[in-house]
Amino acid sequence: MRNPWMQTGNYRTSYRQDTTIFATYSEQLSLIVLLLSLLFLPMFLSRPQMFVVDLILVYALAVVGLNITTGYAGLISIGHAAFVGVGAYTAALLAPALPFWLTVPLGGLAAAIAGGIVGIPSLRIKHLYLAIATLAFQLIFEWGVGHSTLLQQGGAIAMPRVVFAGYKVGYKNHYYFWYYVTLVVLIVLAFAFRNLLRTKYGRALVAVRDNDRAADAMGMHPGLTKIFAFALGAFYAGVAGGLYAYLSRAVVIEDYMLNVSIELLAMSIVGGLGSMVGSFLGPAFLVLLDLNMEDFANWLKALGMSLPGVDIASAMRPLTFGLVIVLFLVFEPRGLANWWRLVRNYFKNWPFKY
Amino acid sequence: MRKTLVTVMAALAASLAFGQTVHLMWSGAITGPTSDAGKYYAQGVEDYCKYANEEGLTGGLKIVCEVRDDQYNNANTQRNFEEAIERGDPVFLGYSTGGTLQLKPLIEEVGMSYIPASYHIGNIDPPNNNYVFLPIVSYSEQVIAVLEYIAKEKPGAKVALAVHPSPFGRAPVEDAKKAAKELGIEIVEVQEMSKGLDYTATLKRFANEGVEYIVYQNVAGPVATMVKDAKRLGLNIKHAGAHYAGGPDLLRLAGDAAEGFIWVTSYFMPGENTKGATFVRELGTRYKRPSDTLESVHYPSGMLAAAIAIEAIRRAHEAGKPVTGDAGREAVHQALLGLTFDPGLAVGPVTYSKSDHVGVDMLRALRAEGGKFVPITEPFQSKLFRKVHYGK
Amino acid sequence: MSYFVQLLVSGLVVGSIYALAALGFVLIYKASRVINFAQGEFIAVGAFVVYALSVYLGMNIWLALVISLLLTAVLGFFVERVFLRPLVGQPIISVIMVTIGLASLLEGAIHLTPFGGGNFSFPSFLPQKGIEFAGISVSYPQVLAVFFTLIFLAVFAWFFQRSTLGIAMRAVADDQMAAMSLGVSVEKVFALAWAAAGITAAAAGFIVGTVSGINLGGLVSIGLRVFPVVILGGLDSIPGAVIGGIAIGILENLATGYLDPLVPGGGTGGVFPFVVLLLVLWFKPYGLFGTEEIERV
Repeated sequence: MRNPWMQTGNYRTSYRQDTTIFATYSEQLSLIVLLLSLLFLPMFLSRPQMFVVDLILVYALAVVGLNITTGYAGLISIGHAAFVGVGAYTAALLAPALPFWLTVPLGGLAAAIAGGIVGIPSLRIKHLYLAIATLAFQLIFEWGVGHSTLLQQGGAIAMPRVVFAGYKVGYKNHYYFWYYVTLVVLIVLAFAFRNLLRTKYGRALVAVRDNDRAADAMGMHPGLTKIFAFALGAFYAGVAGGLYAYLSRAVVIEDYMLNVSIELLAMSIVGGLGSMVGSFLGPAFLVLLDLNMEDFANWLKALGMSLPGVDIASAMRPLTFGLVIVLFLVFEPRGLANWWRLVRNYFKNWPFKY
Repeated sequence: MRKTLVTVMAALAASLAFGQTVHLMWSGAITGPTSDAGKYYAQGVEDYCKYANEEGLTGGLKIVCEVRDDQYNNANTQRNFEEAIERGDPVFLGYSTGGTLQLKPLIEEVGMSYIPASYHIGNIDPPNNNYVFLPIVSYSEQVIAVLEYIAKEKPGAKVALAVHPSPFGRAPVEDAKKAAKELGIEIVEVQEMSKGLDYTATLKRFANEGVEYIVYQNVAGPVATMVKDAKRLGLNIKHAGAHYAGGPDLLRLAGDAAEGFIWVTSYFMPGENTKGATFVRELGTRYKRPSDTLESVHYPSGMLAAAIAIEAIRRAHEAGKPVTGDAGREAVHQALLGLTFDPGLAVGPVTYSKSDHVGVDMLRALRAEGGKFVPITEPFQSKLFRKVHYGK
Repeated sequence: MSYFVQLLVSGLVVGSIYALAALGFVLIYKASRVINFAQGEFIAVGAFVVYALSVYLGMNIWLALVISLLLTAVLGFFVERVFLRPLVGQPIISVIMVTIGLASLLEGAIHLTPFGGGNFSFPSFLPQKGIEFAGISVSYPQVLAVFFTLIFLAVFAWFFQRSTLGIAMRAVADDQMAAMSLGVSVEKVFALAWAAAGITAAAAGFIVGTVSGINLGGLVSIGLRVFPVVILGGLDSIPGAVIGGIAIGILENLATGYLDPLVPGGGTGGVFPFVVLLLVLWFKPYGLFGTEEIERV
């Protein structure tokens, strides 16, 4: 019998059931509880903490995009920060004229167009060779911004304060306002992608990743699917970029350079590629890890550990950061999403072991 | 959030013993890009702060300096800045060009005075420029000072600018072009360059165009490679550069290929027999810094930034005003706006006013001779900069 | 004309530095299909070891180089043994991520030494004047780079064609499963690939350190610049790495020589090779010499 609250196995009997997002009511309930608690989270946090949470959400949005391109469609992208940048610069240019709820999606759209163009080589090139197209885009983007007086040659373009439905966002409520905006955008876009995965376009992404020739034989167009994957992933990145621009109050080229691309890639891999939950866990884990390593470094400093000429505390931060990532992957190569899966399965079968 | 028990206890004990505690934060790159400068800058901030507390230069306040490594990441800088606001710090010591430019709107809104290590003119240009204070003259003024020196040495000279591919490098280009026109020298080309392994192509082209001087607004690494290549090619081109292009770092990287390099900065050289240089040496020895710290020009730079902040806090405090929280920020800002004093760390006094957010207005030109930079001019102020940049 | 020839020659010698840095990258990819994002940090370690030995211990620079080559080989071996061995059979992308973590770890380790982020240079051991021939000038470190590249190329050619271990490596690269079933020790091959990559990285670090001084950021950046080189040459081809390196070096120089004056601000050398690269890949999707993968459904 299928119990809508608890079930220990897969009792799906029809295709329609198999395409549902939630298997049980308890899954649905736990998500609702999570979202409600996120709604009230700001009540407990200070401004700097709020900024960190906002940052995690924006990164999560960008990583969902990267996960679409790299995780679901299997196209390694080392130029994702450039797409974020396209979104941010578009939003910055449009911001004096348009409200933020138009500039941010338009930023996403501009990034999607850029993504489509970057995807064109995927008609011919595959695997790692394709990653070079994204790297090329990253470097051309940096160079292009640096040579464009319109974009202040990479210097700052200030973002205006916004007014939303008569509510003026000022210094006091800045991070709180953008928290809710980012949260809503993230939830809507995550669900949109979750739904897309259930359609033929979404499944085509996975089919092309797993074997593009087989996908071809089944009547899908691998090239167009890959371009679609690039454009869609870039759209998410662009929206994240627009939000980040408002969040940080200005657009500066340093926030969208190659090292950020690699950081985003790291977040998606640590979270777990091809997993929606991983897209949220990865950024949260890496950002919080870095904060804790900083605390650890400061603690070392407070203990007075030092050698002449060596700043042990500062050195320990990248060192332990790298070490934690390496050890984590050695013991859990499938990323945080796998832990999530194990924990969920445990509770699913509880009180039975399996 | 990050107040570990240890620091809380320390702060408590300190506040009982010394009276009021004021926190002062520096956020910059100790690791990551530009850490070759940031590492020593941080040490300068730390050491001067210790010194000021120990020698009673703080007006009875206990100033707790905190050095944060933001790894050249603007998001980290923003977070540190927010924490400083939250804690009620009266003034903030910043670092990078990007970070400062990005934070300007926020700085203006919260009214927290901000002293960056980046001397980008955009930091103190409108909009949102009321709270940013440069410790020494801007990159634009430095480069114009170099051009003035060149115009004197060789009227009508042909010059190429070699700049870093970033807002930092591009900052002085427009002003330099205008100044060159005034001075009657020709800027043949503006080239962006960084991290190259060979500059033969660029140099040969410069030589073909008759370039006589290359002026660098760059970091020491690429400058060293280019200077070495120019020497190998036997080109008759002279090299000159702004604050971050030269210094002991350049000498260490380029060796005797750097001989003759003309450099402008507001700081003293380590070997010099001036009061300022001796003070830096003594302070470094006192806090057991190794020789590379004592030689670095970024060490006194960090000290100067800390000195300015601490002096402003002291004056606000001695005027009987609060020095923490919202009121403290305003009081220290007012103190900074009227701050004139000579900490002896640079070739001129620090002079701020409502319309002048540049601390030390004086520069010296130096030339690399026999493995060290030797001053070739008295401290001077660029004549042209104000005319070119502000039109007056 | 001599300007053009000079650009070609400069491109060639700079390209051979890229080639040297790329060799280790290709070796690791060839053996285990892993992109090593920590290649730049290996290069930095190699350079810093030479510096430490020659300046702090006053060692002869060539002896310091030899020790550095050995030490980085051991480091590569150790990294493979400790961090990558447990990941055999796991998703490749996780292994790639481990190399990203490794990059951060090594950078922290370098900051733990007294050199950290500072700027240094080797004690001078080569004449500063370059070699001049018919108005074409090349510096001694660059000549050294060409020399090293040729040596490594010859050694690897011999190794992969003649030695049993080298042939075993090729077998593993070709088909891991089949090689294992024929009794080839895949573990040994991986360890060897990482050790060899360490050696070439140290050689590259030595050259880059001689050319442009020792700075952590500068050395590490070479690691990523290798990427277009190996893609152009073909990810798993050793001659490809050399030819790719030289091609990228020449393209950079031609762009700097002829395009920069036309573009205000210039700096086209960093971008132009990528444009050419994309065009080349359109016709040769597996690089110039990369193995074309025959895919079956």
